[in-house]
Amino acid sequence: MGSYHAQAMANVQAALQELRQIVGKDGVLDQPEELLVYECDGFSVARATPTAVVFPRRTEQVAACVGALNRHGLGMVPRGSGTGLAGGCVAFAGEVLISTVRMNQIETIDWGNRVAVVQAGVLNTALSEAVARGGMVVADATPSPGLSLREGEGSKTSSTSGGASGGGLHFSPDPSSQRASTIGGNAATNAGGINTLKHGVTSNHILGMEMVLADGSIMRTRAGSLLDGIGPDLPGLVCGSEGTLGIITRLWCRLVPKPRHFRTIYAVYGSTGQACLTVSDVIAAGIVPTSMEMMDGRMIRVVEEAFHYGFPTDAQALLLIEVDGVDQILDEQVGQILELCRKHGATDVQHCADAKRRLELWSARKRAFGAIGRLHVAYFTQDACVPRSLLPVAIERICQIGRDFGLQINNVFHAGDGNVHPIFFFDESDPAQAQAALRAAEKALEYCISIGGTITGEHGVGVEKLAMMEHMFNPDTIRAFQAIKGAFDPQERINVGKLIPSDKIRVQLVKPLAANVPGGAL
Amino acid sequence: MSKKKSKGKQKQEAAQIPPGSPPTASGAVSGADQGAAALGALVAECAGQGLAVVDYGVMHEGLGNPPPAEHRKLRQNGQIIEHYARDMTVRVAAGAEWGAVQRAMLATGQFVPVDADDDVTVGEAIVHNVYGPLRLGYGGMRDLLLGLHYVDGLGRDIHVGGRTVKNVAGYDVTKLMVGSLGELGVVYEATLRTYAVPEQVIAVDLKLADPVQVDGFVNPLLVSDAAPTWLWMSLHGRAWRLRLAYYGRHSACAAQVRSLETILDGQEDIGMQGSARTTLAQDAAERAAHRRWQRQAPAVVKLVVPPAETGAVCAALASSRDHDPPLCLDALPAHGCIMTGGSLDGAQALRLEARVTRILENFGGLRVWYARPRGAESIRPFGPRQADWPMLVKLKQAMDPKNILNPGRFLSPELLTT
Ligand SMILES: Cc1cc2nc3c(=O)[nH]c(=O)nc-3n(C[C@H](O)[C@H](O)[C@H](O)COP(=O)(O)OP(=O)(O)OC[C@H]3O[C@@H](n4cnc5c(N)ncnc54)[C@H](O)[C@@H]3O)c2cc1C
Repeated sequence: MGSYHAQAMANVQAALQELRQIVGKDGVLDQPEELLVYECDGFSVARATPTAVVFPRRTEQVAACVGALNRHGLGMVPRGSGTGLAGGCVAFAGEVLISTVRMNQIETIDWGNRVAVVQAGVLNTALSEAVARGGMVVADATPSPGLSLREGEGSKTSSTSGGASGGGLHFSPDPSSQRASTIGGNAATNAGGINTLKHGVTSNHILGMEMVLADGSIMRTRAGSLLDGIGPDLPGLVCGSEGTLGIITRLWCRLVPKPRHFRTIYAVYGSTGQACLTVSDVIAAGIVPTSMEMMDGRMIRVVEEAFHYGFPTDAQALLLIEVDGVDQILDEQVGQILELCRKHGATDVQHCADAKRRLELWSARKRAFGAIGRLHVAYFTQDACVPRSLLPVAIERICQIGRDFGLQINNVFHAGDGNVHPIFFFDESDPAQAQAALRAAEKALEYCISIGGTITGEHGVGVEKLAMMEHMFNPDTIRAFQAIKGAFDPQERINVGKLIPSDKIRVQLVKPLAANVPGGAL
Repeated sequence: MSKKKSKGKQKQEAAQIPPGSPPTASGAVSGADQGAAALGALVAECAGQGLAVVDYGVMHEGLGNPPPAEHRKLRQNGQIIEHYARDMTVRVAAGAEWGAVQRAMLATGQFVPVDADDDVTVGEAIVHNVYGPLRLGYGGMRDLLLGLHYVDGLGRDIHVGGRTVKNVAGYDVTKLMVGSLGELGVVYEATLRTYAVPEQVIAVDLKLADPVQVDGFVNPLLVSDAAPTWLWMSLHGRAWRLRLAYYGRHSACAAQVRSLETILDGQEDIGMQGSARTTLAQDAAERAAHRRWQRQAPAVVKLVVPPAETGAVCAALASSRDHDPPLCLDALPAHGCIMTGGSLDGAQALRLEARVTRILENFGGLRVWYARPRGAESIRPFGPRQADWPMLVKLKQAMDPKNILNPGRFLSPELLTT
């Protein structure tokens, strides 16, 4: 036994030695104190210490690291910024984390073709900021992979072709974590955001990607800057695969026209049901707002106490709705929406085209989780999605589940998408209540499934919802997922035991008893 | 390969699969589904016998390598199963024809924004990634498809995605099936996004002296208030035509046309020729009529090029000195997609292929032959080789281990050796 252990240690040391040769000494962390911050992501219920963290800078280094880890029989887990909310980037079986944070180069902004080529570790806002600054010229290192067959050549479609200004474009996916999360992580989780309602989730904006597969080979999916490929849509599959199919190293991101004209509507209600009915009616009227976000009464009071926006503290629900588009027609659209708000008994309805007021309103929404953090109570956030017409009943049922379990639930969520995020509060010193919170959350998910909804609209499965996968999918579908995993990673080396059940690694979640659980946000 | 290729020796009559389960009143997804079970049993039986199950669709028969001589031809039929009107989604049997689906949807004030011909089934449109000019305003099939119920190559019943507009549970196999040419599974049902029928459509005709001009025109147009719902360029004889349309309320369309006029004020080579107010149904019918040649011509090839080079590629295609018949050509300048071809014989198609190859070498991009005339069978349907093909072949092996679903059409080990 002892010699087995010594052998294993020697093997790990040899692997680390190889990794250092590939990425340099400062590119590998393996000291316990250095590894502490890599024990969890935003779902801090699930913790485990990795064997090491390696920080490659280029695709070839990632491939070499994967090769080295394979030779030494060590598993690996891709990691971006670690803002995930499902435990997806945690090394539960002592794997090595492959972090993309040093792969932070924006390589090309190809204005003509409206595509940016970025390394996977580029932060979401870094790309939008670079695009907003404009002027960046096509790099010579990365062929626009519509031209992918001419390896090594610079892109022909430089910034001079096809309307060179670049003005007015942006990278649309906007998770609330966008200042911290990586585009690779956004793609791997298929992140959504406030503007998803009109402008789509991350996978709608990823044209192609380069990834390192479990055997260390480098693969490019589809055809990058081309808007269409031949055959099945592989980037579409890899988006949302939570790092289980390979390590994304480079992405071809669609740049789309940035909306220039907005109107923001703020509506206050005496009941959550009325607010939900408004949402449902706006959708049913065929209006497609940019965003339609909701806070319930408890959440309004939490935000108001923390940041003093002047929201009425006796309100039971607040809707924030935004429309964008051609300036001349926005007022007409606003009129339609206001009518629906009033029809459903909104007690105060305001709208504005003023940029300052707009920012203020949205900052209230974006700071909701900051406000909860100030309460110093334990909580965790669930993420489920229901058909939008069923939002009123879903919210009612979730609140009822909370009452049944004697728990406080606050709601702040992407109402227009039917993407609910009930926040379950519990007394961390009371183990029974913590268990009750978990049980209530499970019940809420079961209910959402029963009305045609899904267990996750944007946060992913990770390890958090693994147990729910069998409720959601029939055994044949789970087997189909496993077959897909097998095509990419037959030996189960990358991020095993996440997203789909695996016999190789079964994660036992530590239940949230002792810690104040910063259960994430939305 | 001739478009009217031999149907091969069909072992049995076309297998008919009953349409999806009837609408339920509740709006909830219904339970046991006889039709899916029948389809699963059929595929499982064929898998057991190693017999190919073939469905190339009605519009895409000439696409890819021909099926093996011995096969069982599959034909599904069906209808809308459930229209979740208040969710703006619809659940529809894969065998339902687009024409019938759209007519039923229009009656409810909604539509599915896909440019598919009336006789193309929903399943065919998904697995062939059918799109047209509407992709600009509404996205492509990958953006519209929310859920799929399909049968894999072993006859197993797979449900992915669903009725919600956001869903990240499990792998997004819905997207993988888009463009899969029926090789990864047999689609049985799909759930798609719907949109409100616009109050009106204004179609605008622009004169275009030189197709290359379009390359500098598209981006400024897209970031302006005049961004159209669709944009489309075509070649008529020797004349180029650029068309675009605005969908929406009367006031919105009028404002957009005014913005367009302002943009065109400064342009020398592109100018407004006229505009017409129409309805969604008329607009769709007109565009369908215009693209009919793509169904009839013996030679049809699709090119996908960097969008900013669409005009330049069109110009290069049209500037042949081969003295062959003039090409038909439709292009989506915002997407870099070009359909071209026409009444070419085998030798002429081979010359077109040589020209396309040179163009792609110069500009980058790829091409897929939809129809090859007799005498042009040596043209490889897909090319140039793409870096992800080995993985696609592995996925084919994972999802259709007995290789019975449209076998050899595209994804086969031989693909990698060519
Ligand atoms: C305050 C806060 C707000 C949030 N708001 C939103 C929101 O609005 N919408 C939303 O969808 N999510 C939100 N999230 C969740 C999270 O930010 C997203 O899931 C984000 O996309 C994760 O990116 P990351 O770089 O942090 O990835 P990580 O957390 O490091 O990893 C997430 C998953 O992706 C995999 N992964 C990461 N990088 C790669 C790669 N290069 N190749 C392959 N796999 C990889 C990991 O293995 C893991 O499974 C929020 C989280 C927080 C803490």
